[in-house]
Amino acid sequence: MADTTQSEQLEKRAPETPEIDPIADQSMSGALLISSLLLIVTLLWSLYDEVIGERPWKSYQKNFVDSYSSYLETAKKRQKNLEKEVKSSPEYQELDQAYKDASAAAKELTDPIDAQVRKVDTRINELTGPFQDARSWIVAKTYELEVAGSESSRKSIRDAIEKKKQEKIDVKITGDNGLEEEKSLTFPELEAVYNSLRDEKARLLAERVQITQPIEGARKKREVYLQDHLFGLTEEQVAKLEEKANTFKFEIKQINAGGVVIDRCESCHLGIREPITITKADMLRASKESADDDPSLDEAEAAAFVSHPNRDLLKTHDPDRFGCSTCHGGNGRGTTSVDKGHGRYKHWLWPLYYKENMEAGCNQCHNRDRVLQGAAVLNRGKELFQVRGCAGCHRYEAFDREADALSNARQSIKTLELQRDERKREIAQTGAAADAASTDEEAAQLRKKAEALRQMISQVDARIDEFDTQAKYLMQDVKKIGPNLKEIKAKLRKDWIPVWLSDPQAFRPGTKMPTFRLEDDEIKAVSAFLWQAALDVKPPTQAQGDAAHGKELFKTLGCLGCHSINGQAIDMGNQVIGGDFAANLSRVGEKANYDYIVRWVHNPRQRLAPYSPTLKRDLTPADYKQKNLPFVFDDDHSKSPVDGRELQIQNMTVMPNFRLSDQDARDIATFLAAQKRPGVDYKSASYLDDASLKSQGEQLVRRYGCAACHEIKGMEDEQRIGTELTLEGSKPIERLDFALLQQPAMQGREPMTGEKIEREGREGWYDHKGFFENKLRSPGIYDRGKVKTPEERLRMPNIYLPESDVTALTTFLLGSVETSLPESMRYNAAGGKKAVQDGWWVVQKYNCMGCHNVLVGQDSILMGLPMYQSADGKEQLPPRLTSEGARVNPDWLLRFLKDPSQATPAERTSLAQAVSGHAQAGGDEWAESLKLHAQPGANHNGVRRYLKARMPTFNFSPNELQALVNFFMGASSQAQPYIPERLDPLATDEQGMARALFSSNAAPCLKCHMTGDPAHDARATAPNFLLAPERLKPAWTRRWLLDPQLISPGTSMPSELFKRDSGHDRWVFNGPTPPSFQTYEKDHVDLLVRYMFQISPDEQRRLGTGGGGAAPSSAPAPAAAGNKTAIVERKTRRPSLRGPIAAIRAP
Amino acid sequence: MIKTIGTACMMLILATVLVSVGCKGKKKAADDDKTDGTAKPQYASKGDEGTITGKIAYDGAPSTPKKIDMSQDGNCAAAPGDKSADDLLVADGKLANVFVYVKGGPTDKFSFPPPSDPVVLDQKGCRYQPRVLGIQTNQILKVTNSDNTTHNIHPSPKTNQEWNQMQAQGAPPIEKKFGRPETLIPVKCNQHPWMKANVGVLAHPYFAVSGKDGSYTIKTVPPGTYTLVFWHETKGEQTQQVTIAAKESKTQDITYKAGAIARATSLQIGPALVLP
Repeated sequence: MADTTQSEQLEKRAPETPEIDPIADQSMSGALLISSLLLIVTLLWSLYDEVIGERPWKSYQKNFVDSYSSYLETAKKRQKNLEKEVKSSPEYQELDQAYKDASAAAKELTDPIDAQVRKVDTRINELTGPFQDARSWIVAKTYELEVAGSESSRKSIRDAIEKKKQEKIDVKITGDNGLEEEKSLTFPELEAVYNSLRDEKARLLAERVQITQPIEGARKKREVYLQDHLFGLTEEQVAKLEEKANTFKFEIKQINAGGVVIDRCESCHLGIREPITITKADMLRASKESADDDPSLDEAEAAAFVSHPNRDLLKTHDPDRFGCSTCHGGNGRGTTSVDKGHGRYKHWLWPLYYKENMEAGCNQCHNRDRVLQGAAVLNRGKELFQVRGCAGCHRYEAFDREADALSNARQSIKTLELQRDERKREIAQTGAAADAASTDEEAAQLRKKAEALRQMISQVDARIDEFDTQAKYLMQDVKKIGPNLKEIKAKLRKDWIPVWLSDPQAFRPGTKMPTFRLEDDEIKAVSAFLWQAALDVKPPTQAQGDAAHGKELFKTLGCLGCHSINGQAIDMGNQVIGGDFAANLSRVGEKANYDYIVRWVHNPRQRLAPYSPTLKRDLTPADYKQKNLPFVFDDDHSKSPVDGRELQIQNMTVMPNFRLSDQDARDIATFLAAQKRPGVDYKSASYLDDASLKSQGEQLVRRYGCAACHEIKGMEDEQRIGTELTLEGSKPIERLDFALLQQPAMQGREPMTGEKIEREGREGWYDHKGFFENKLRSPGIYDRGKVKTPEERLRMPNIYLPESDVTALTTFLLGSVETSLPESMRYNAAGGKKAVQDGWWVVQKYNCMGCHNVLVGQDSILMGLPMYQSADGKEQLPPRLTSEGARVNPDWLLRFLKDPSQATPAERTSLAQAVSGHAQAGGDEWAESLKLHAQPGANHNGVRRYLKARMPTFNFSPNELQALVNFFMGASSQAQPYIPERLDPLATDEQGMARALFSSNAAPCLKCHMTGDPAHDARATAPNFLLAPERLKPAWTRRWLLDPQLISPGTSMPSELFKRDSGHDRWVFNGPTPPSFQTYEKDHVDLLVRYMFQISPDEQRRLGTGGGGAAPSSAPAPAAAGNKTAIVERKTRRPSLRGPIAAIRAP
Repeated sequence: MIKTIGTACMMLILATVLVSVGCKGKKKAADDDKTDGTAKPQYASKGDEGTITGKIAYDGAPSTPKKIDMSQDGNCAAAPGDKSADDLLVADGKLANVFVYVKGGPTDKFSFPPPSDPVVLDQKGCRYQPRVLGIQTNQILKVTNSDNTTHNIHPSPKTNQEWNQMQAQGAPPIEKKFGRPETLIPVKCNQHPWMKANVGVLAHPYFAVSGKDGSYTIKTVPPGTYTLVFWHETKGEQTQQVTIAAKESKTQDITYKAGAIARATSLQIGPALVLP
């Protein structure tokens, strides 16, 4: 059965017809056609992608090469003409002739040398072969000798060497007549001849160099002339560029900066690093002129080809090291489209910065720089962050660092005190353990341990002391942006407060005080709380002053370097003029009490009462009375009578002390108090005394963080209420709360109106830039449409920034990122550069640039004011400080900054005693202490007494003093410490000569330099020579004498005082000299510097009466007098210049 | 068949590539000697120039000039010559030292080469003589010192290069140029603060300074319409519109009022910081 089935199966299996073979029987041509067509399409596609699709840069490169070559051709012609012009000038011709003459002259001398050298060379060549053969043989044998085993073999080798040395070697030497001579020489003889030939050659070549030196000199001179007179590249250089463009390699241009940054930006941005300047217009024009390219370049393409706008920047940031995207953002590897390359697509975290925010890129490496040269927008952003008080609410590393350091110091003191107690307990225990020790050895060991612990306590004490000192300094340095609100009862008109709070901008446009979005009842509560929390004390009544004189002082002292005022108030047009660093004072008379202003301008740092950070309250006379101390708190009396700890004795303002006399303070205050609109009257605000409003007000003041900018009773230790912003720029976008505006932001709709924003190159504003800009324009914006209780609302107040400032702050925030760059690529300033970096924080904090030119190219506010435009006005400008570090001795600078009046110690002591006596006089001690006290150095500058602008006293702490000195030294590349060089003392005849020159008509130094005679000094325009030895550096002084305009453009000190005497390689006085100079052969500048550095008061007097120079006249100051004398007359004290100056503590 | 299509395609592509490569020829830049187009043509006289002349009156009684106290420099005090202040010189109701020049019109369209003669500014009796002077751009200003004392010459221009140079007695003249029009550059001597001069630098030669009789004459003015500017050191600036026809001689008088200071229209005042 089974068999059958099997056979059946076999039968069935036999095929009836052969199966159709799909390969042999079916035509595949259709499928093949389709697939080959597909293949061709893909091939075409890939070719398309290759050339256009995925490699759009190829067309960029082609377009670039076309227009660039055409541009270079025009440039070459232009440069050629220019070069021709320069080369045809007589000066160049002369130099060229000099070069040719020198070459010709040298040729006569070099030709024989060259011939000689050729001869020597031939001989050396002839000898080299035989000499080297013999030497190699000997060297090889010597090696055999060294390794030979037995004494006998050694001997035989030695003999062989000796023999070889004595063997004659046949050589051919060409003689002087040019004929070959055959000679037989032993090896030592041959060696001697060979070496002498080589020496001969070296001598000849050295001689040749000597002779050709003048040619080199002449060639260099010619080259320098060409460089100096040819603007741009030479024709030859342009031709080289052209050649490079013609052999351009079409490929991806990639920068690989150590694998950290890989950028292909230059695949399209081809002109960036070309040595010739390329502008968009250049490229457009060139593209039109070149033939084959239709249509020619479009604007965007042309813009992509320009050279980098700041070549200097590329010099310090070599693209091969830093790449492009490091600074600019974007996706450096992207090459498939413009948007990809620029990183402007979803999920790319670092899109290219928009042009206006470009400087954000600087900040990731330069975040420690307060001022970065060349980054004006970023600097402005940082300035705003500080000046507008942002740092009060938002922590930002390095901003408001004193406050952080102070709380750290205080915390450290507490920890150390605990540590000390701990140690004490340990000592006691160890002592007890020693007593009970079982062996003497153990006891001795424990005693030793206890001893060590005791020493450690002393070390801890030292650290506590130091922290205490640091805390004192930091208390001096920590500042608040706004005024001290503890003093408002004494300072402000009560009714004005709620008016101000409701709309600060209305009262004072541009003010730093932001507008809080408060309801009327909230404003009432806040006003009431602040009023009731203020100190209840009134400063003594002051007599009225002279407003006209006050106005004059206000205009001339330098107030306008920081403050602004309506021009009408000071007779200078009707625009607001002055600086925007401090308040606009146009309406100050409407808000402040006269008596308080007098005190404030007299010494703004003087508080009504000292604050004790340890007791957390303001001290009163009663606290002092308990210890039987007078109610005196100043730099010399800064410790608390209660616990001996440092007190806050200063108002936390950056406003310095102008060392005004009482009368001048009253005059200025009278002028300021008159700054109000006529008939202004505010609604009575009696509710400020309503105690029931206090607690609500306190809550609001706390919630809105008022204590960030103001000192407020009970809120001295408030924490910052805002988000930390140090790394805000790298916060993920999801964590920026756009709230209900996320959709409009993504769709690119205006947040206020919902209208579509049409903007080129930017879709929507759902990015960091959009968030920051809108937040800054309208800080409450992200509350829009939300249902919130008043407590939940966004607290950031309206700050009313102009759009340029919004951009500046946005730039700063965009740049506030966590960098992924290695430390080696970041800017790590060291030495002098670090000093500059640190110093800028102090320079900016006190607005030194309001009055001074600190940075080359930077203008101070004063320099822009109308009264400093005339020739006479310019003489009254505060000194430029661009070379300060090179100019002055750092020790002197430290003393000067500590006390710019350079008051004598005697003056200080007597005044300090007067203050103490004053306070002890009895009566109402508080009121008594609030009277005006005479100040050391009142009413004069320390160096330039003729300047009406006054260098005020800033009460810098030693930390800040040192930082400033280091800043100036670092900025001028001066090393520290500075040890003054000893100048050669003057010989007697030199002394006489210098004196004669100084007092001659020809060198009228003392006409402008101060002499100590008050009548003369009032019209002087330069400092007293007596200051020179301790103030100036001789090297700088020399440079100053040679060309003062180079150091301080516009200075009254004339140039060309000396002329070059090339015969004696020295500088000589450029004018008639006294007869004694005729036999003098030394440098005149040197002589004068040495003389200046040893002028004594006696010598100066002798000079004054000596000749036609500056005869001290008793007559009143001439022409220049008028209204100015009023200011001068008050300077009664005779200046003392040489007195030793109180040593101060330098950290 | 397919092979043919393939080959054809390849050929096509190759051809395209070759053609595109072949097209790389370059057209010559159209006009080789194209200049920047900024240089103005030099003015060529047509012989039809006119003259502007006039007198400058001073309305009101001038205060008697103060005597300058030169006692700080014995040599100045001893020097002969008038010692009274010369910032406002009025004689018979006529004002001297007014700088008069034309603005606009043909002066904007042409360039005027500087004369080869220098303009001399002398220091004599410790005063600048003249106190007000005009000069063309790139014309040489020759500063001489006729005094027996040392001076320094310190112009403080806004847009030209500032300099400040010492000149001792008997020193050779200092020769300088100003490259840019600027009205007017104040010059002072820092050692003798009363010494002031004013240099008007213009790109053309159509300027004059009023004499003691208050009269001025600007010669060979090309026909055209100008703004005539009168500038006085302390009394300010005034302007008039004037049209000069061919060979016309026009009289343009003007009066300065004693009490008032004319509003400066072209005087450069330093920029004050304007706050929002």
